[in-house]
Amino acid sequence: MAEDSQRNFRSVYYEKVGFRGVEEKKSLEILLKDDRLDIEKLCTFSQRFPLPSMYRILVWKVLLGIIPPHHESHALVMKYRKEQYWDVYHALQVIRFIKDSTPQVEVFLRMHQLESGRLPRNLAFPLEPEDEVFLAIAKAMEEVVEDSIDCYWLVSSFVNQLNNKYKDFLPQLPKVLEQYLNMEDNRLLMHLKACSAMSKLPYNLWFKKCFAGCLPESSLQRVWDKVISGSCKILVFVALEILLTFKMKIMALNNTEKITQFLENIPQDNTDAIVSKAIDLWHKHCGTPVHLV
Amino acid sequence: MAQQANIGELLSMLDSSCLLVLEDITAVFKDNLNSDRGPMLVNALVDYYLETNSQQALHILSTLQEPHEKHLLDKINEYISKAATRLPTLSLLGYVIRQQPSWKHKLSQGPLLLSLLKCLKTDTDVVVLTTGVLVLITMLPMIPQSGKQYLHDFFGIFGRLSSWYLKNPGHVAEIYLVHLHASVYALFHRLYGMYPCNFVSFLRSHYSMKENLETFEEVVKPMMEHVRIHPELVTGSKDHELDPRRWKRLETHDVVIECAKISLDPKEASYEDSYYSVSQPVSICFQHRQTDPNASPYIDTHSSYGTSTSTPYSASRLTLAQMQGQLPQILSPQSMRLSTEPQQVTIWSPSAICGMTTPPTSPGIVSSESSHSSSQPYSKYFSTPAGGKGTPLGTPATSPPPACISDDFVHISLPPAAATPPKKEDKLDLGRPSLSRQQNVINSERASEVPGSKSSVNLSDLPEFLGCLASDEDSVEKDREEDAISKEISEITTADAEPVVPRGGFDSPFYRTSESLPASQRKPHSVACSVQGHSLSSEPVASSLDKLGHEGAQDTPKQAFTPIDRPCGASDENPAGNREGQSSMETSIFTPSPCKVPAQRRVGFGSGQPLSYEHLFEVALPKTAYLFVSKKTEELLKQVKGNQNEDCTSSTSPMEVLDRLIQLGADAHTKELNKLPLPSKSADWTHFGGSPPSDEIHTLRNQLLLLHNQLLYERFKRQQHALRNRRLLRKVIKATAMEEHNAAMKDQLKLQEKDIQSLKLSLQKEQARYHQFQEEHDNIVAQLHSQIRQLQHDREEFYNQSQELQTKLEDCRNMIADLRFELKKANNKVCHTELLLSQVSQKLSNSESVQQQMEFLNRQLLVLGEVNELYLEQLQHKHADKSKEVEMMKAASRKELEKAKFCVQQQSQRLDASQKRIVELESQLSKKDHLLLEQKKYLEDVKIHARGQLQAVESRYKAQKRITQAFELEILNLYSRWEKDSLLKKLDDEKTEAAEAAEERLDCSIEGFADSVTGYSEEAFGRNGETKPPSTRGSSSSKGGSSSELSTPEKSQNQRMGQFSNRREASMLPEPSTSVPLTVGSLPSSKSFLGMKVRELFRNKSESQCDEEGMTINSLSDTLKSELCKDPSLEAKVPSNLDNPSPSPMNQEGSVGPLHIMDYNETHHDHS
Repeated sequence: MAEDSQRNFRSVYYEKVGFRGVEEKKSLEILLKDDRLDIEKLCTFSQRFPLPSMYRILVWKVLLGIIPPHHESHALVMKYRKEQYWDVYHALQVIRFIKDSTPQVEVFLRMHQLESGRLPRNLAFPLEPEDEVFLAIAKAMEEVVEDSIDCYWLVSSFVNQLNNKYKDFLPQLPKVLEQYLNMEDNRLLMHLKACSAMSKLPYNLWFKKCFAGCLPESSLQRVWDKVISGSCKILVFVALEILLTFKMKIMALNNTEKITQFLENIPQDNTDAIVSKAIDLWHKHCGTPVHLV
Repeated sequence: MAQQANIGELLSMLDSSCLLVLEDITAVFKDNLNSDRGPMLVNALVDYYLETNSQQALHILSTLQEPHEKHLLDKINEYISKAATRLPTLSLLGYVIRQQPSWKHKLSQGPLLLSLLKCLKTDTDVVVLTTGVLVLITMLPMIPQSGKQYLHDFFGIFGRLSSWYLKNPGHVAEIYLVHLHASVYALFHRLYGMYPCNFVSFLRSHYSMKENLETFEEVVKPMMEHVRIHPELVTGSKDHELDPRRWKRLETHDVVIECAKISLDPKEASYEDSYYSVSQPVSICFQHRQTDPNASPYIDTHSSYGTSTSTPYSASRLTLAQMQGQLPQILSPQSMRLSTEPQQVTIWSPSAICGMTTPPTSPGIVSSESSHSSSQPYSKYFSTPAGGKGTPLGTPATSPPPACISDDFVHISLPPAAATPPKKEDKLDLGRPSLSRQQNVINSERASEVPGSKSSVNLSDLPEFLGCLASDEDSVEKDREEDAISKEISEITTADAEPVVPRGGFDSPFYRTSESLPASQRKPHSVACSVQGHSLSSEPVASSLDKLGHEGAQDTPKQAFTPIDRPCGASDENPAGNREGQSSMETSIFTPSPCKVPAQRRVGFGSGQPLSYEHLFEVALPKTAYLFVSKKTEELLKQVKGNQNEDCTSSTSPMEVLDRLIQLGADAHTKELNKLPLPSKSADWTHFGGSPPSDEIHTLRNQLLLLHNQLLYERFKRQQHALRNRRLLRKVIKATAMEEHNAAMKDQLKLQEKDIQSLKLSLQKEQARYHQFQEEHDNIVAQLHSQIRQLQHDREEFYNQSQELQTKLEDCRNMIADLRFELKKANNKVCHTELLLSQVSQKLSNSESVQQQMEFLNRQLLVLGEVNELYLEQLQHKHADKSKEVEMMKAASRKELEKAKFCVQQQSQRLDASQKRIVELESQLSKKDHLLLEQKKYLEDVKIHARGQLQAVESRYKAQKRITQAFELEILNLYSRWEKDSLLKKLDDEKTEAAEAAEERLDCSIEGFADSVTGYSEEAFGRNGETKPPSTRGSSSSKGGSSSELSTPEKSQNQRMGQFSNRREASMLPEPSTSVPLTVGSLPSSKSFLGMKVRELFRNKSESQCDEEGMTINSLSDTLKSELCKDPSLEAKVPSNLDNPSPSPMNQEGSVGPLHIMDYNETHHDHS
């Protein structure tokens, strides 16, 4: 109780000074202490606050259903996952799809293909766009997660979530982006339309790959927090914020190809700020989320 | 070139004697000037003028219009800079400027002014200098504003020329210096008049230097004595007088008059100013006094006049009258007009000055000095009383007494004589002295005239004069004098020349009509006195005198009766001619003192011109006379002109006539001069300082030229005065019109005042009547008021009475009402009592019957009482006891009640117990429910827990399945590869055998399958056909068609056949993509063509040789199929899973789906 009161007493000042996340960490710990993890609450928390990095993997795994909400079954389930991973890995090795030298990402891809039954007949088979997306996400995830098993499961679940849960929603995102861009900066929209670049923005990179490869991992995981916790609309706002931040440069460019090229390779220096602003913008437009899709 | 020649011709024709030609040529020139803007014509004209001195050319040049002025000025500028042509060019410039062209403001802009100034600064020729200075003086008032930048040049020129007079650096003839000095004097006046502050400061600075001090003392100082203090010196400043605003309002003539105003010199000063007269009378008296110093009687008489005059006013009058009186007698006592003229003559006579300044007998400097000094007090003495005199004389219009007289004259218009009564008195009084004086004057005149007329004498006189002048530095008067002398000479020469000209002019119609009197008289006089002494001249004189008498008589009444006529008469004549004539007349008349000429001219303007215009104002008599004199002289001049230019044209301006006259005179004079005996000449020349006699002619010519220039300058001044006079007249006319208007307004005012008076009277009457009515009305009103009051009082009384009566009436009414009410009451009582009465009577009858009944009832009561006592006795006897039975029943019921109560108690206890039990049970139940819920929750939890694990397991399982599938796939793949390898080996072996029979079989196979198969399948079947015959040679059906092969009942290949037919079907159905159904059909080898070929080869092999192998493979495939069939849940998935590795599109999968099922069914069927 004494600790609690002290914490509360400080929290007022944390808020005022602008430290966010100190309070959240505690409350997340409280949430995680529950035996049966309340996934709804975790979702809301993840949407509302940035996740502390030490709990991020755990929360993601829980949210993506890699481990069940019960603490006691975690070990067991993780054991299963691990075995499954090695089984698949072994199988792929047996059928010589992967070797020891095969990069981790491709291993993940093959495993995922195998699991989803889409394994090509042989290695020479060209990669499909889906696979490209997977590779990009896996590469980004690999940076975030150290453990390869965790990483595989997170990537796999993340991609599955994108393909299942957001299947219908993702194609609409460009339109949503245009709508919000109209609200935020009409001139920029006009310019983009005038350059007929609106339809050629890197939507694939933004919305299918969820900015994997576009943003550095430190920023990306904050975006993915929101995506994993159930809102893919944040992708629109990140894209919007990117456009607004580089407005001057975009306005200076008249060529569609140039704009697209620039947006695909945006400078990586202040992406944290972009993401923060994007989240603020998202909160502004969609309200502080209680539960959003 | 042609044009130039043309111009040359025209120029030569310009001086043609023919009038018509002349007009035409002039017109042609003007046309040319209008059309041509080039400088050629102007230049030619200038050249021509300079060559020939042509008057026509001069006329044309002086009337040049705007665009040509530049060329003209350029040309003049060009010639001015050359010494040879300087003089004529200057005179041309003078002519042009005096015309006051419209472009005169441009004079200061061009280089001309500069070169003129330069010339004046540097030239040493006196004639040129004099001419130049005169041109400059003429020019100055035209360019007052723009000329200011050259101000110091002007001053410098003045300084140079003024010192010139003293130093005489060129050692020129003194007679030139006189001219020069005159012009310098004029320049002094002009500069002082226009720029007083600047000029004075210049004088101050220039003459403060020592070397100039002498010049100042000798030259400038005397000049300054003849100007008064300029007002600008007090009020203005150097900058202010250069201010453009100052000059903006002033026209040229304004400037000239401005300059004249400040002059004290009678010859320069303007008439407009009152103080001008200061100098005039002085000069008059002066002149009178000094006319002839020798003639003592004149002085005496004059002094006697001076003494006789007691008051200044009368003195002035007297002197005036005296002059008028005496002077007429000089010439002709017949007319007053004539008398004024001589008076004027005497007034202006420069001879007086001559006398004053130069006593002819003593030409020493000392004497002249003394005379000068003696003259000073005189002038001072006379100046004081002259203040009053001058005004009536000089300006009759402005001074009150003459104005009154003039008014009288105008309105009353005394017919008999224009002379005023005082004048007449004077005349009477001064009859005798005048006579004597007249003679004196005549004598003096003659005396001066004779030498004047006689050239020899004149010439001898001149040096004297000049010498005096040279020594005597009192310049102003002397300048005039000098001019006058030269003029006089020229006049005399003209007079001399006149006789040469045909004298018939007097008899000519001109003469008659013009009625020239005094001049004509004079001229004859002079002529008579002249050396030639023509007998002819006397005759005209006589005749003219006669005529004079006649016409003078005619004139006088005319003038007296109708003052308006006068100006009319004057205006009838050409005013220019008038002026012209006057001036010429004067020059001709006043021989002894030619210096008066300019002044005289001025007088002519000052007095004559206003006269000629104004008819509203009466003019003093002398002026009218003067006017007439001028008229006459003009006529005379006309006549002279007529004499001269009779053949030429009558329209030529008198000015030109005059110029020519003078020139002609000069010519004549030179002739005369040549005639003179040399000794006398030489004697005279010695006076000039030994200048050679041959130069004399030249000198005289130059003098003449100078004189001419002077004349032209004076004429210009006169023009300016004329302009100004016109303007003044206009103002006067306006003023009088305003006065009349005022008078009319006053009359109207008076009338209106009268009206107002009468209206006021009537108003008063009306007011009185109104008061009366008011009073009556008041009385009546008062009466009526009293009546009203009385009546009102009465009415009030009546009203009171009626009030009282009404109250009484009311009382009565009340009483009646009361009474009525009482009556009603009484009636009611009566009725009531009657009713009561009837009731009482009825009651009475009732009570009687009731009493009867009571008696009957009492009896009955008694009977009943007795019966009752009887029954009571019977009752007491019959009483029995039933109380025991009741007691028993009561006890029984009590017991029963107790029993029941006990029972109820028991029941309630039981109920309590049971209720408690129920509560207990319920709590237990709820606990159990809760437990159940918890259990459920837990169960759920566990379920979820299990599901989580299960999911993991399931995913694991799925993964496992995928792995196995992948493995299977791999295995199959490996199998197929292995089979293919082995088959290929075999094929290589067989190929050699089958090579020869290949073609025909191929044909057959094509025949069989041409319609049904395409692409690879065809090839495959072809190959099939190729490979089949060797393998199925033993079989019955070797038709080469696979359909026949299908139907062959080969039991060993039954399953394979089923497969095969299935494959065939599949290959038939989706024709475009043959490979996919084939792979679908042939389950293990889904690797497109390769796989198919492998299958076929495999089949062939199994058919022909390796049956057991084929069986194994078939069985393998069958087992695989059965496996697949065994798992119904996977049944749907399997084909898709199998298909998945192949890149087959989904839609094909759909079409393949049912096929598979059929396939399986078939296989199942076959199996079973």
